[in-house]
Amino acid sequence: MTEQGMLTGTLVDCSKLTTREINQQLRTLATEGLEQVTLTNPAGRHNLAVGMDTCMKIQIAGPVGYYCGGLSEQIHLEIDGNCGWSVGENLMAGQILIRGSASANAAATARGGTICILGHAGPRAGISLKGATVIVKGNVGPSSAFMMQQGRMIICGDAGANLADSIYQGEIFVGGRVASLGADARYEPITGQDWQMLAQELGPFGLDAHTYNFKKIVCAEQLYHFKPRDFSKWKDAY
Amino acid sequence: MCGIAGLIYYNSALYDSLGSTLLSLIQPLETRGPDSCGVALYSGQVTAAQIKLLLHGNSSTPWLQVQQWLEQQLAAMNSPVDCQPIPEGLRLVIDLANGNFDPAQFKQALHSQFPMLHVVGMGQAMEIYKETGAIELLNRKYSLNHFSGTHGIGHTRMATESVVDTHHSHPFTSSYDLALVHNGQVSNYYKLRFQLERMGAMFETQNDSEAIAHYIHYQLLQGKSLEAGLYQLLDDIDGTYTFLVATRDKVALVRDKFAAKPAVIYETEDMVAIASEYRALLNLPSFDSNATIREPSAGEVNIWSVLPTVKETAERTLVNR
Repeated sequence: MTEQGMLTGTLVDCSKLTTREINQQLRTLATEGLEQVTLTNPAGRHNLAVGMDTCMKIQIAGPVGYYCGGLSEQIHLEIDGNCGWSVGENLMAGQILIRGSASANAAATARGGTICILGHAGPRAGISLKGATVIVKGNVGPSSAFMMQQGRMIICGDAGANLADSIYQGEIFVGGRVASLGADARYEPITGQDWQMLAQELGPFGLDAHTYNFKKIVCAEQLYHFKPRDFSKWKDAY
Repeated sequence: MCGIAGLIYYNSALYDSLGSTLLSLIQPLETRGPDSCGVALYSGQVTAAQIKLLLHGNSSTPWLQVQQWLEQQLAAMNSPVDCQPIPEGLRLVIDLANGNFDPAQFKQALHSQFPMLHVVGMGQAMEIYKETGAIELLNRKYSLNHFSGTHGIGHTRMATESVVDTHHSHPFTSSYDLALVHNGQVSNYYKLRFQLERMGAMFETQNDSEAIAHYIHYQLLQGKSLEAGLYQLLDDIDGTYTFLVATRDKVALVRDKFAAKPAVIYETEDMVAIASEYRALLNLPSFDSNATIREPSAGEVNIWSVLPTVKETAERTLVNR
């Protein structure tokens, strides 16, 4: 956590405001054309910086609760701490950087933008992902990328059980071990183009793609339509 | 949504703050469950041959009559009783040394005589206090801020499965010194209850969480360790759950295979605290951001023994020399 004394620019002290006041203040500061705002004393509070539509850089100095940065049209958010559930839920565009770990459902249903977690992510990371890019430097928990529909997940560490269960589309790269794949997910050979893309995506976050042994996972497209003869392919996820 | 919290002290210097710290731990979780709240607190106040028993009634209960009846009944069982009035209830200390006190028989007799009365809990260390409404009210009603002890669990309830009243509030108990707080739903409740009732479990409410408490008691009765019983539970109880179960000398945290309900664990040399949300832990008076803070994984069972640490034991040994 950054020390209060080291913080510069406009500060908003969360301890003196209600969550609604904080988010309203962020919106006001954005319309005033400010370039950077720092939220201090977030104290694990839920719903911080939700529903944003601004390129203003928002820095949060400490751990946050649920839904941080969620439902945003456009955001540039950095969190110096751990996150609760569903960070960046339904993000449309922009970037969220988390310098700690994220709990369950990170980047759930995110449609665009990039969500980068420099720690680990909990269960169901990237659940129902709809187009965003999710980067996790550490591990992800079980059932990650569950029902993913579009977009990209890059997991440098290990993935928990049932990765990409019932995936529709999109691609997942895992640098470490995969505990198990879910129903209708399969490995695909990784191409030179993929490596190029990985280097491009990871570079800005100080990560070197070539230090990881990436494997690529996509949809097997066997279960788009239910056919009784495919019954055995419907794995019991649990 | 419900909130759960637990607290285990390894350092006896902290014992006096058990009640106040546990309540401040569940205070922020009131937003997760505003319907009712409750705590099970553990302290070692009674002697080996005694048990504590908490009775709950209401303002129209004829307490004098109840007290007379209790003294008569327990004298007949040769088990002297000490009755201490508490708000809307009685706290009994029963001496079992020469008596033949039978809890099932006692509960049955009590219920036929005073149907409005409810045995909230019994045991040598455990005391359960629960109530509909705010934590602050519960605290004031029973002066829980001053409760001294070794460990405890707490709950804030958002009712989904049964009626909102004191009896259907958590913690639930199924045996001496066994308390349970649960966040989630039991999907195979009716089947589970049917099976447990056939094995002799006496259900007192319609709440699904009570079934978990009876299930654990049943496993212990089979001679299983708490750990073995809880691993078996992961296979037998269907649904979503993150729950804490406390016994006289242990606290366990169990998370279902889906990791559907949250929990955060905070560990230092002196204590372990568990809460549904991280922000609740910030209420610990000695909160240390460098402590080990983690979330249990899916299907993870954590058990902590409430025993003096190696350090304290070593210090005591030195003193004894």
